Amino acid sequence: MATAPNLPFQAQDEITYMRPVSNCAGCGDTKVSWSVLEGMRRFNRAKELKGKNRYEVIYAADRGCGNLQGYHSYRIVDAIFCMGSGVIVGEGLKESCSEKQVVITASGDGGYNFNMSGFKFAAKNKKSGAITIVYNNYNIRMTGGQIPLEVDFDKEGAALGFEVIHLNPYHVDDNAELFKELISRYLNKDKIMVVADGVCVVDMAKDSKGVGLNLGRFVKSDECVDLKFQQEKERISQEEPEKLKDLPRFKCRLCGIGLRCHALLNNDPNLCFGCGACKQFPCPVGALSFEGPSFADSTKIPELLTMYRV
Amino acid sequence: MNKSVVFNLGKLRLSGNQAVARGALEAGVRLATGYPGAPISDLQGSLEQVAGNLPRVSPFTLRAGETLDNANYRLTAHWGTTTNEDNAFALALGAVICKGDFKSREFLTEDEWNLVYGDTVFAEDEEKRVPVGSRVMCSFKHLGGNTAADAIRVAVNVVPYTGGLGIASGDDRQGTASQTMQDNKVLFSSHFRIPTFELHSPLTAHQTVKNCYRLFEELGTPFAVIMNYDLSYREVSVDLSMEVDLGANMRQKAFTRDPKHLVTIGPHIRPRENKFHSKLIPLFRKKIGEYFDFLGNKVQQYGENPRTLLLLNGPFREDFQLVKHDQTLKDRLLKKFGGLLAVETTVVFPQPESLYKKLLKKFSIEKISVFEEGYGRVIYLQLLDLVNRHGLDARVFDCGIPYEPRIYERFSYIDHILKKE
Repeated sequence: MATAPNLPFQAQDEITYMRPVSNCAGCGDTKVSWSVLEGMRRFNRAKELKGKNRYEVIYAADRGCGNLQGYHSYRIVDAIFCMGSGVIVGEGLKESCSEKQVVITASGDGGYNFNMSGFKFAAKNKKSGAITIVYNNYNIRMTGGQIPLEVDFDKEGAALGFEVIHLNPYHVDDNAELFKELISRYLNKDKIMVVADGVCVVDMAKDSKGVGLNLGRFVKSDECVDLKFQQEKERISQEEPEKLKDLPRFKCRLCGIGLRCHALLNNDPNLCFGCGACKQFPCPVGALSFEGPSFADSTKIPELLTMYRV
Repeated sequence: MNKSVVFNLGKLRLSGNQAVARGALEAGVRLATGYPGAPISDLQGSLEQVAGNLPRVSPFTLRAGETLDNANYRLTAHWGTTTNEDNAFALALGAVICKGDFKSREFLTEDEWNLVYGDTVFAEDEEKRVPVGSRVMCSFKHLGGNTAADAIRVAVNVVPYTGGLGIASGDDRQGTASQTMQDNKVLFSSHFRIPTFELHSPLTAHQTVKNCYRLFEELGTPFAVIMNYDLSYREVSVDLSMEVDLGANMRQKAFTRDPKHLVTIGPHIRPRENKFHSKLIPLFRKKIGEYFDFLGNKVQQYGENPRTLLLLNGPFREDFQLVKHDQTLKDRLLKKFGGLLAVETTVVFPQPESLYKKLLKKFSIEKISVFEEGYGRVIYLQLLDLVNRHGLDARVFDCGIPYEPRIYERFSYIDHILKKE
């Protein structure tokens, strides 16, 4: 009998690295993620629910930058499987999650087209409510700008059995209030399709420039806690440099972190896309504002042109 | 909570489809999804009836349905409403990844538990319990495996969260009601590489299904059971005594976050994929060997000094039962092969290599004859690989048939086994 060869091979775990998705400062998808999380916080606060009594969001998403940002930037995404599966995986989650867990699903318009039957199942399933977010991007930067099927969500969503609600992603405070309301309706087994309108912010900014519309920029007043702290840091670096090492890097940055906005984080208006999400961001000291046209006014360039009479 | 209850439902006739449904119910399955199509529609249809979505019209669903209702058994079934197999499977996937409860280890050692659950959010559990949730059954015909392939392949990347998920595939290898005569053993064992079994009898299918749930839930992997066209529809008379795992059916529901497993992006899936192939499949192989009898398989010696090993799977195994009751057939068997070991097995993948190595060594086996149905020759190729890889002194013969014969072909599996070479 022949002897077995002595094989030295032993598989090793591969060393892998995180590849964070760098969404643009003005990306509307990140703003929707913030509003969903904030909406749930407000819902629990309004109901005075604490500890184990609180409800929590379980977020099942599709593939694509709209949802990868949700995972990388916000840690909101709990499950991403195959293309188009977010909404139907979400229905499965509803079968086995606890009553305190609210399943919200998110897809791009590509995912919607891919698995319309999954959406239909969600609309028809009488056992539970549904909040399905659709990022209506028309053009997906990360996947190569393919030409998608156009969708009339008002007609199609209603035909599937959803109440269709459109939102401007940059109305972050209004949207948080909306999601707070929708969570109540979810628990009453209502079926809602939330369509987050807006083209990829890079394209919107480019198109605006093309028609001669100069978008505005964020403004931080002197009340900004972080700006004050940076000024104080500069003073210390000149007068008491030995104390510098004991100081934190920043004091607040709620807006930059909340909106995942590089422009706000770096306090650099040159990085600002002019999305206008900071118009509604609830700065604790009211130091954040926006001047000039923005996508918070409208995500449609012709409407912006009319509003600002260019 | 371990709470098994026995219900005696009396004598009735049970098809292969109903036997698998019985096994799922005995395992405490809480969600059944699927998409209909010959030959497997009646499996999910039976579960739909037990769940109360359709009128209970068969003796099995009438009796089992009423009994389980009285026991407060919880079952949700979605058949057809998912509109295709991909959705049916993704729905099942969403339900099975919710691990809101724990059970004690039955099959895993501490080290094995560390291997399976050591990189999950449950790794810190001091008692090294098994995180569990709803047991789920997803069924479709062989073509459905193609439609659901995307979701099934992803399920492999979220192991061990897919423990508790059983897939039932009805193979129309006759091409009676399908556009292909597909052998799904290839799909589940060679492509998805999940534990795969070919059932052989409505009398025993339930036990295999139920025990697969017990073993593979703990191992954290989905499993597949496959029936051919004949078995799906064939009815046998049984004295139906159902031992139902009500504890599994009534587990606590909750989703536990573990994005490193459940968000399937490159950095997350690459280590999982590596682990699945290099560590977990060998573990499944080992456990299938250790629990070979438990999974409904047996090894029996015929005659003196066996030098041949017959590996009998699916319909060949079923017809081989005739040898046990017919001296003429037994004489023909011994005349053809001399002393032999008959391995009656449902296992398609992964084959328990250590068991075969032990048998080959102990009995100085010179010849292995593999009887399986389907063009994939999945078992034959694994045995051939085993012999070649370990340099064993035995020859492996492919004695299977590529397709399931239709009735008019008057094919006899036992005659095929016993025919002169």
